[in-house]
Amino acid sequence: MPKTKYSKEDKKFFREIFWNSFILENSYNYSRQQSLGFALGMWPAIKRFYHTKKDQAAALTRHMEIFNTTPHLVPLITGVTAALEKKASEDEDFDISTINNIKISLMGPMAGIGDSFFWGTLRIIATALALPLAKQGNILGPILFLLAFNVPHMIIRYYSGVYGYKFGTDLLTNISSSSLFTKISKAATIVGLMVIGAMSAQMVILTTPLSFKFGDTAFKLQTYIDQIFPLLMPLLYTLFMFWLLKSKKKSSMFILMITIAIGLIGSFIGIF
Amino acid sequence: MTQALIVGLITALVWFVEKMGGTPMVNRPLVISTLIGAGLGDLQTGIIIGASLELVFMGAIQVGAAVPPDVLVGASLGTAFAIISGKGAAVALTLALPIALLAQSVKVLIFIVRSWFMDYAVKLAEEAKVKQMYWLNMFGLFLQCLMYFVVVFVALLFGSTAVDSFVKSIPEVIMNGLTVAGNLLPAVGFALLLQPMMNKKNFLYFLLGFLMIAYGKMPILAVTLLGVVLAFVVVFDMKPAANDSNSSDGTSHNQEDESEDLFDA
Repeated sequence: MPKTKYSKEDKKFFREIFWNSFILENSYNYSRQQSLGFALGMWPAIKRFYHTKKDQAAALTRHMEIFNTTPHLVPLITGVTAALEKKASEDEDFDISTINNIKISLMGPMAGIGDSFFWGTLRIIATALALPLAKQGNILGPILFLLAFNVPHMIIRYYSGVYGYKFGTDLLTNISSSSLFTKISKAATIVGLMVIGAMSAQMVILTTPLSFKFGDTAFKLQTYIDQIFPLLMPLLYTLFMFWLLKSKKKSSMFILMITIAIGLIGSFIGIF
Repeated sequence: MTQALIVGLITALVWFVEKMGGTPMVNRPLVISTLIGAGLGDLQTGIIIGASLELVFMGAIQVGAAVPPDVLVGASLGTAFAIISGKGAAVALTLALPIALLAQSVKVLIFIVRSWFMDYAVKLAEEAKVKQMYWLNMFGLFLQCLMYFVVVFVALLFGSTAVDSFVKSIPEVIMNGLTVAGNLLPAVGFALLLQPMMNKKNFLYFLLGFLMIAYGKMPILAVTLLGVVLAFVVVFDMKPAANDSNSSDGTSHNQEDESEDLFDA
């Protein structure tokens, strides 16, 4: 975290950025997506740096342009944009169009990192921690889930605003000169895939009651599968679903219906 | 009637908290099913159903502008039906997903309606009317909460008795088949989650995680921590110093490219 000493006014400003960042998606829509929420999130910065109604209106209108990113990480972009607005308010020669250009160039990478971290990694880990308890009907399950997700969420949300503001324009050069963000995103993908693999093994259940008779002895097929490759059938089934989605471009509704049909038919003819 | 009212109100309130709180995941089945369970006087069943539904809905990620299956409506109605009919998680699983997919269209409608009043929001911005912008933003949220309340209330009011008698008339063979399907449904959730992430190259990481459980029977946290270690080794190229991988000439770049090829995410 940045070590710079901040004035009381700065700290109050960071708190305002933090508290105003939550309502980003209240009016999410197709045409401008999160823009109304983002413009409102920029208000602490706009009222701090611009003092005439005309300038404030121009800044608010600027941020009504289409905007979309991961909601948990938005203060980082608000922080960077606030630093740019500060410069624009002080320097008359500053090219105003830079503000939205930088903002838009941050939207994509932040959404990439944010979605893979908050949705693909943190949420999965929180779920994995909570599920064993919840399966037993223990109230600590859902509580643990909310804490495991939101304690990191709140800390990252606050400090991403501080960090974003501190580095402002600088941060942009950091991003383009190093592949740090791509690397973080790739690392999150690896951890995410391994956890999903592990959870598939724990949670997808498929066994067969089939058995073969040689003379007087019956050989249960499932016993052999368990000895050679335990959980082979859940693995193949999960990959089959993935293949239908990705290679065959089937819809989620389709694979859902297929699964219910396979369950019913398999149970009817006695193979599952 | 009272039950429909309670479930409708809880659903609307949860969405309100979810969006006022910056997406804290309170609309996940783990949480909403617990609350519905508490509202209907069967907390424990609610939690257990929440765990089952969470597995199915795991893959319903909200990425970009795509409208995912509506987890909130699916989980809340699924849980309510299951508790009211007394048939537990198996029923919740089979009822919740189709409802969630149907509820998508209602959400699409809300997104379109809110697109309409964005022109008004821009006009307010041009006049620097921040307070009005704030309340317009809130109005958008109230609209969606109201929609959730109406959908859930109406579905329960007309549906629960019909669903109840329907469930009672299901033969044993079909109930068994539904249990098999219920056990398989997490695969649908995982496949949806994997669809944007996994390809031929990084498939090995998924397989590794799977094998660690299948053969090694390790706890999930162990898999996660080993995953973090592996990710650092691979991504940040933390190889033995002898390789001198930090020098920025051609040879080390080749090496880095090779390792990155393995997980083109």
